[in-house]
Amino acid sequence: MQVLEQKQANAESREWAVWVKGLTREYTTRNFFGGVTRSTWALSGIDFQIAYGELFGLIGPNGAGKTTTIKILTTLLTPTGGDALILGLDVRKDLYEIRRRIGIVFGGERGLYNRVSAVDNLRYFSDLYGVDPGVARKRIPQLLEVVGLSGREKERVEKYSRGMKQRLHIAKALVHDPELIFLDEPTIGLDPAGARDIRNMVRDLKAQGKTILLTTHYMFEAEELCQRVGVISKGKIVALDTPSELKNMVRDISVIDLRTYGATMDYVEALRALPNVVRVVADLESEQQSIRIQTPLGADLLPKVVAALPEGAKIIDRTIKEPTLEDAYLRLVEE
Amino acid sequence: MVSMHDLPPGKRVSGYFAQKAQVLKASIFLTRKLFFADPQWVIPNIIAPFVFTMVAFFLFQGQTSGSSFLLYLVLGSGLMGMWGTTIYASANSIGFDRWNGTMEATLAAPVPLSWIALGRVLFNTLQGVLNAVFILVIGLAWFRVGFSLVNPAAFFLASVATFLSLSSFGLLMTTVLLLSRKGGFITNSMEIPVYIATGTMFPIILLPIVYLPFAFMLAPTWGIEAIRIAALPGYVGLPTTYWEDMVIMAAETFAYLGLAFFLFKRVEAYAKRIGTLEEY
Repeated sequence: MQVLEQKQANAESREWAVWVKGLTREYTTRNFFGGVTRSTWALSGIDFQIAYGELFGLIGPNGAGKTTTIKILTTLLTPTGGDALILGLDVRKDLYEIRRRIGIVFGGERGLYNRVSAVDNLRYFSDLYGVDPGVARKRIPQLLEVVGLSGREKERVEKYSRGMKQRLHIAKALVHDPELIFLDEPTIGLDPAGARDIRNMVRDLKAQGKTILLTTHYMFEAEELCQRVGVISKGKIVALDTPSELKNMVRDISVIDLRTYGATMDYVEALRALPNVVRVVADLESEQQSIRIQTPLGADLLPKVVAALPEGAKIIDRTIKEPTLEDAYLRLVEE
Repeated sequence: MVSMHDLPPGKRVSGYFAQKAQVLKASIFLTRKLFFADPQWVIPNIIAPFVFTMVAFFLFQGQTSGSSFLLYLVLGSGLMGMWGTTIYASANSIGFDRWNGTMEATLAAPVPLSWIALGRVLFNTLQGVLNAVFILVIGLAWFRVGFSLVNPAAFFLASVATFLSLSSFGLLMTTVLLLSRKGGFITNSMEIPVYIATGTMFPIILLPIVYLPFAFMLAPTWGIEAIRIAALPGYVGLPTTYWEDMVIMAAETFAYLGLAFFLFKRVEAYAKRIGTLEEY
């Protein structure tokens, strides 16, 4: 009976492009004699599945466990416990077969040889991934055209802008035609036009039937692109659903978006102290500040918001909105 | 305008040896590109060999002019250059990826890290050969050293075998750098003692007996002996024949290779366990 159940579980796990069950990861720091001096659980038993052809988002604050999850699923890190299957293959045993069938886009500046050209980078990685040289000769120029680097492909990568490097990252991840693509914060640090280009490429990949796991800090990006989103916090999946269902969790609130001049931290604290204010998120770095207030009162809170303004400060613009995925996310990760 | 849908499918190369050859080729080609992309290549490959040769010749000039001893010096200087380049470059062959930010991408490739490193070390050792050839050219042209070899075929064979033994030792050294961020210190500190221990500039028989076991464990010791037997008329070195030197060198080369591949497996497992190998 137990064997039968095990077989059924195995069959079920292979129906998913990504199947994760009870995954844990502990990081330990050891002293000179090998004794553990500090132990941190980066993942405390996460479960999720991604269907073939699905675009799945994994969102969470820094240190929540996103990168650890990606590293385990891409076979770069051994899990401490639990199981993970990628395209039906075990991340502990089937390293090379998994690596051949997945593509990884690392965020930031990592992962490219800057002193050689884009073509050299792609040729190198296509050879490492075992792509037939005849196919690579056709595929590389076409890929460069798809990602908009044609005409600049022979320049050293160090001369590229941040956006061009990120497009090359995507080409590199696709050079061996993977079935499953991991995009680890692909738009981080890009200007709006560059980020839009990358999002369009992600849509194209999805349309092509690729399975995609996307991690991002930008909630609107996850909302715009992903079919389902997992919210990870302190090493646990705290919510997993479609963006619209996640937004339903905060249906009880409205959002007041303010653009202010001269607002200070004292003003933000005063807003937080107002009755019926659920949460206030502020960006005070720029000359014009943006403040986001979550409240069940909606427009009825505005008189108090205006009254709390310090002398010399003013509200330049105000908008009352329906809650977004970001509001749901903030509630989930702060709970 | 090409779209994602127009891309040809990524058909793969099949066969174990074809796949490994492809990785070696890719690794050698990329290392070559990266090597010439950095103008500093001139220092270890042109300037340093020139200095080695000048020092050796001016030390002995006048005493042995025209004799086969000058060829002895040329060969020794060449091997010093070859060794120096190999040890320096092998230390940086994969460590380079750590500070370049490409370690994660390299570790994520569907091939053992040892094959990627082997390609890089092979190119770096080849660089060392060019270094040695440059020294030979300086010695022959500038100092007018006669280059008549006792047995050219044996000389060529011993040179190729020494090249391979240096590569295998370089591969072993690469694992040291990967395991420890202080590996650069270890490999760099091996450069000069090996000049003495392998007898590049004098017969190792002159070394105190306690150093000899270390010298005998180094494949280049036997390589230099074999090269000198094949090149120099009436050469008297260790009490071994050319073929004995070659067999010992081959055995040590295979031992280095076996140990290097074993250590690479351990390094990869360790990297997956700690997850910080890519950090510089």
